[in-house]
Amino acid sequence: MNYLWDNIFKRTRREADVHSVLRENILFEDLTDRELRFVESIIHVRRFHAGEPVFRQGEIGVGMYLLIKGRVEIFVSDTFAETDETREIFITQLTAGDFFGELALVEDNGRRTASAIARDESVMVGFFKPDLMEILSRSPAAGIKITLRLAEVLGRRLKETTEKVSELRQALKELREPPPLEPGDGR
Amino acid sequence: MDDRLSAILRRERRIKTVSVLVILASTAIIVFAVDFMLVSFVMAFVVNYLLSPIVNSLERRGLPRQTAIMIPFLSTGVLIGLGIYNLLPVASTQFTLLESQLPKYQVDLANLVSAAEERFKGFSKLYNFSFSQTVNSWVIAQTSALSSSLPQFISGSMTVLILTPFLAYFMLQDGRRISRTVLSMVPNNLFELALNLHHQLNAQMGGFIRARFLEAAIVGLVVWIGLQIADFPYAILLGVFAAVTNLIPYLGPLIGAVPAILIALISEDAMVTPSISINLFIVTAIYLFAQLIDVALIIPFVVARIVNLHPVTVIIVIIIGSQVMGVLGMMISIPVASAIKLVFQTFYRHLTELRS
Repeated sequence: MNYLWDNIFKRTRREADVHSVLRENILFEDLTDRELRFVESIIHVRRFHAGEPVFRQGEIGVGMYLLIKGRVEIFVSDTFAETDETREIFITQLTAGDFFGELALVEDNGRRTASAIARDESVMVGFFKPDLMEILSRSPAAGIKITLRLAEVLGRRLKETTEKVSELRQALKELREPPPLEPGDGR
Repeated sequence: MDDRLSAILRRERRIKTVSVLVILASTAIIVFAVDFMLVSFVMAFVVNYLLSPIVNSLERRGLPRQTAIMIPFLSTGVLIGLGIYNLLPVASTQFTLLESQLPKYQVDLANLVSAAEERFKGFSKLYNFSFSQTVNSWVIAQTSALSSSLPQFISGSMTVLILTPFLAYFMLQDGRRISRTVLSMVPNNLFELALNLHHQLNAQMGGFIRARFLEAAIVGLVVWIGLQIADFPYAILLGVFAAVTNLIPYLGPLIGAVPAILIALISEDAMVTPSISINLFIVTAIYLFAQLIDVALIIPFVVARIVNLHPVTVIIVIIIGSQVMGVLGMMISIPVASAIKLVFQTFYRHLTELRS
């Protein structure tokens, strides 16, 4: 009997975890309770071992992952032109509540631009393009709210990337053209 | 990835893949092995795909899924009931007439074939094969087989009629949950691929089935109305037959027209227009008109966009379908072939492009 109660308790706790992480996520924060329950019936809960790849750079991606438990590291493969040697460059580490891979939700057969690897035993919510299509078809109001938030996130990421590119361009320019010598510099 | 993790992942992936394959194979075995299950399953799939846009549209208006399913289910049931109630007396009169005329048509057909054979012998001295005898014995065998298999056919139809709505209801109600459960067992490295494939197959099948049924309904309706206006006997039966056979690609329209053309050729009944040639011309014109609408409007705008198969491939898969599963095989050969093509293409792209 205890075993049965334990299992019921575990299941509800996992569902509660998923519910609270979804509720706090920017993509789903505008949804009503009913709409959020509907989304919960559509998304996929996936478990990953420590060290297991979530996806690899170059694979066709169909959606995003939202971390419920554990850590994920993002890497980019870089190949040196001279030696043909490939090395993994660490980009960032994500924890519970973070999400990644959302660009695949709007791309058509887009390829992953980085690899994601679970660092701990992790639980993630997978939210994919077919799921978004299903939400848009069965509950358009919820679908539009999610899509608008997704557009906001992608816009923000684009803005950040543009700023980064500008900074890098400036840094490159400074490297190529050192600042003019001050009078009495002594060089 | 260290060796221990690789070993764990390999083992887990193998177990999950085998489990999914076992579930799919067991379902396939049940569907193929249990009597009438295949027909019921295919028909339930068809009902599921035909009703799902209506169910989704009702759900969008805020109705719970269960209510959204019950409304089109009950409405379709009432419509079918009303249709049967109104058309059954007419159809049964036509069926009784056809039954009483069948021996006469049998003799007339034999005479027609032997007359044609005599004429053909005049052209070719080499022709020694008795075609009329072969046709005659085939017609007799088919007629007797039809009467002996009729009770079994009726009991089978009853089973299908009960099983189909039952399966279709659960496909609409729990289909997504079942596919989600099966998908949850797919290993992580194949999950996105499997989910995307499932979505594409679903969209392709739904589109194809809806397009084919729209096509069949329009062809059947045009044939029925045309024959009714021409005051040709068995208009309803021939309309229904034309609609059903139209589901067989390429060959279906020809098969659908055969009974009407044969009746026009051999009948000297008072109910039929006295002149055989005018009668034949009218019947051919009606079937051609129905096909014209089909070929000019429905196929290019609806069907061709959904299934991208070469005509030669279509013919080959229809022949294979007919040899493996008869008429049902001919009807389902195209969607099955396009599904196999999609699965193959997706896996091929996954395996080759990623590596390159």
